[in-house]
Amino acid sequence: MAEVRFEHVDKVFDNGVKAVSDMTLDIRDGEFLVLVGPSGCGKTTALRMVAGLEAISSGTVSIGEKIVNDLTSKDRDIAMVFQNYALYPHLSVADNIAFGLRLRKESKEKIAKQVEWAAKLLDLLPYLDRRPKELSGGQRQRVAMGRAIVREPKVFLMDEPLSNLDAKLRVQMRAEISNLQKQLGTTTIYVTHDQVEAMTMGDRVAVMSMGVLQQVAPPQELYDEPANLFVAGFIGTPPMNLFDARIEKDDDNIAVVLAGVKISLPADRNWRYPRLPDYVGRNIVLGVRAEDVHAAETKPHWPAITGRLGLLEALGSSQIGYLHIDATKVAISTSATSASTRPEDLPTESASSFVTNLVAYFPPRMAMKTGTDVRIALDTANLHFFDAQTGEALR
Amino acid sequence: MSDPTNRYNDHWWRHLVVWLAVCVAVLPPLYVVTAAFNADQTLSGSSLIPRALTLENFKGLFVQKEGGAEVFFVRWFRSSLIIAVLNAFFTVFIGALAAYAFSRFRFKGRRMGMLFLLLIQMFPGLLNLVAIYLIVLRTGEVVPALGLNKLTALLVVYLSGAMSVNLWLMKGFFDSIPAELDESARVDGATPAQIFWGVILPLAVPVLSVVGMFAFVGTLNEFITASVLLETVDNFTLPLGLQAYVGTSYEENWGSFAAGVLIAQIPAIIGFVFVQKYIISGLTQGSVKG
Repeated sequence: MAEVRFEHVDKVFDNGVKAVSDMTLDIRDGEFLVLVGPSGCGKTTALRMVAGLEAISSGTVSIGEKIVNDLTSKDRDIAMVFQNYALYPHLSVADNIAFGLRLRKESKEKIAKQVEWAAKLLDLLPYLDRRPKELSGGQRQRVAMGRAIVREPKVFLMDEPLSNLDAKLRVQMRAEISNLQKQLGTTTIYVTHDQVEAMTMGDRVAVMSMGVLQQVAPPQELYDEPANLFVAGFIGTPPMNLFDARIEKDDDNIAVVLAGVKISLPADRNWRYPRLPDYVGRNIVLGVRAEDVHAAETKPHWPAITGRLGLLEALGSSQIGYLHIDATKVAISTSATSASTRPEDLPTESASSFVTNLVAYFPPRMAMKTGTDVRIALDTANLHFFDAQTGEALR
Repeated sequence: MSDPTNRYNDHWWRHLVVWLAVCVAVLPPLYVVTAAFNADQTLSGSSLIPRALTLENFKGLFVQKEGGAEVFFVRWFRSSLIIAVLNAFFTVFIGALAAYAFSRFRFKGRRMGMLFLLLIQMFPGLLNLVAIYLIVLRTGEVVPALGLNKLTALLVVYLSGAMSVNLWLMKGFFDSIPAELDESARVDGATPAQIFWGVILPLAVPVLSVVGMFAFVGTLNEFITASVLLETVDNFTLPLGLQAYVGTSYEENWGSFAAGVLIAQIPAIIGFVFVQKYIISGLTQGSVKG
């Protein structure tokens, strides 16, 4: 068991592509850290640098107290689970699991004991004599896990281990891997492009974009206090609504102007964004999550704005409304986000041909008609403010 | 008259083509078989159905007749087998090592090397004969074992012959083995050599057996290079020796020739039986996939 530390790590490939720049990150002993980001953001490269499968261009990576830049994979005492499992097709499940131990010349008794322990933990006992091709996807995934845990390494590295499973199995394995990691207490770095996996599994989540680490925080903090526009747009399904807006003075308070409506921000309610007063008279980007948009009739004392309902999807427990309000939507390029709805995917109302730019959760069974105007109120305690130029949160 | 239940009526011409093809393919070997058992020693006099059957031709290959010439058949057979086995083994071994490097490592000259090998393959082997003769002649002055009339020299020449096409075949197959397997083994603690022996080679058995089989059969049947390099009858390989039965003036011995040919085919047939399941999969996987 050990902590993993990135210090000013760069990765430049031979063809000049900079995959990771100036990455500094401390992963604590026993922590489950998820690296998340759209494809091509450098998360897998970062993981492979820890594994020793990719050379480090500059900076240092250390495992425990030891800088591992010049160590080969086998001397780093790590185990890796690959997306396609990389099971050896010519070996049985037992031999697959024992492969690393055999290479380390462990005694026969120890190998047998360890394999049985891992197989028991992963419910693989009945399949030990089978070949990988005779197993289901979930079983193969567990064999890959078994191969990783059996050596009891200092660090687990997992590269999108659930992407090849169907949705139902993925949810199940998600919980199994989380439990296993808690049980073993081994430091784990888990790479995924699926933000649901990131939110549900990680002790902390590190969001990456274009090779740069954007924010590292526990899942809830990431959701509540995104450090910049990218994180705000990437984390959360549906993604946060982001609009061009303006900060203005409002008597003693400050207010944000959205769609022509001045929404007053009581001083005690914008504690998350202390830099807000500096932006009076300037344009900013306002963010509001779908669940913080309410029907005005349910919040009669809140300032309300008018939107036209383009589409209403009833989910049973709630309804998702897609509205158009008179404001400019800020689109964040978070391509390849898994299940999230991207701005260009928002449904359009063909009859009146207006583009919806705001997503809101409404209570179930609330009667609303598409194509009509709806009064909505924003929860001023949960608004997010970002610098229009830099995209940084005004914290 | 078209009767949908009787497809023979519609497709009789296809059967005709099939049987024609079978006849064309089968007749020559059939001739050899009957010649081997025919009591007559002349080709012109022999017919497809021999007038008298005999095993004398086979016996003559192994037992020296009283007052007759010395019999080398067993010796030739042994030489051919040894050379074929060694050639198959080394072709597979050296080829697999090179193909692994070309498939997995990125080094200066990798592309050039592959292209160059392909280019070499485009020249017909016959063009090299003069050069090979001269090279072996000169090498023999320094290293006698690699000189003319030496089986070791022949083996070395054979090894160089089909290496490039085999290498491409194996590289194509190795490329279809996911690189994650190598990486996974590396993380598990395997050295490149352990990855090669423990992971890649076991998975490449189909292509290795195909390449090995072709090298084996090819060597067993090779005539031209052997005829240039080997000089004395005691050093001959089987094809050369068999040719001697019919190549000498006034003393053509077609019966012995045919009997020898039949026996010579046995190792190849056995080999094909063992690897036939891989031949299709090995060829398609190596060349189409990846």
